[in-house]
Amino acid sequence: MHIPDGFLDLSISTIMFLLVIPFWIFSIKGVRSVLSDKQVPLMATLTAMFFAAQMMNYPIIGGTTAHLLGGPILAITLGPYAGLISMTIILFIQALFFGDGGLITFGANVWNMGVIGVFIPYLVFIIFMKIMRNKKGMLIGAFLGAFLGDVLAAIFAGLELGLSTINFPYNVQIAVMAMGVHHSVIGIGEGIATVMILSILLSKRSDLLQLQKMAPRWLPSIDLRGSK
Amino acid sequence: MIKNRMILIGIIVSVIFVLIGCVYLSSSQETLDKVAEEFGLSESILWEGLLPDYELPGLEGNLFTNLAIGIASTIMIFALTFTMGKALKKK
Repeated sequence: MHIPDGFLDLSISTIMFLLVIPFWIFSIKGVRSVLSDKQVPLMATLTAMFFAAQMMNYPIIGGTTAHLLGGPILAITLGPYAGLISMTIILFIQALFFGDGGLITFGANVWNMGVIGVFIPYLVFIIFMKIMRNKKGMLIGAFLGAFLGDVLAAIFAGLELGLSTINFPYNVQIAVMAMGVHHSVIGIGEGIATVMILSILLSKRSDLLQLQKMAPRWLPSIDLRGSK
Repeated sequence: MIKNRMILIGIIVSVIFVLIGCVYLSSSQETLDKVAEEFGLSESILWEGLLPDYELPGLEGNLFTNLAIGIASTIMIFALTFTMGKALKKK
């Protein structure tokens, strides 16, 4: 899903970069009030793990491939602020060292995989936590959040690509459909991976999941650690 | 001790991912590339990266160097995120 240079109009790349800037600012400020010292190794470990996971390209539909993003599990375990910072580090190193994703399109890639791929899963997860208030709700929210995060990130990539060929307006629809449908397959995989890692952390290191501190103030005070 | 075990497991899993990525799941034809190709868009090479496509220039397709690059870059990401996390964490 990494958009290389040349695929997007300069105007689209610039808009996407400008859209990401406030998210970076809020995330840097936000992470200072959320991320604890003992969560730092988890942040580094998950970021490294999903950088490595992005090297695996799974066959999906029509001879194409896709990879996991990792944004959902970073958002759910560490909060969206640390999640965006982790995804930005991954995308920056990939673009700078390996030419995986462009430098001009860096903002668009961060928007798709770092903002949409992190904040959407987090919001869905929080909504399910609030509605169901048990571990089952947490895992359902994690799965659906990861799925939606992946599909919406792909749809945004398709939208940016389609809008860059504005002389052929039908391209937007084609690009969005192709990206959305194809990435729904990898979205299921992302959902399963997210649920698996979350389950392991809940049973082994639930102390690292500071869910109350990550959640918005309107979320009722509930402690899901150890709930069924 | 527990913290170190978690890091060790994470690094081992990452190395397994790199291994699988280099050996079995290395073929990449993303939907995005296919759609762009259909629209007549082509990649412009402004910056190829220091190690384009995770390979050492001149040694493309060499499994050993690809694995070494994958593992070294994973460790670099870990170190970078760890340093950044320490700098940004709650005081």
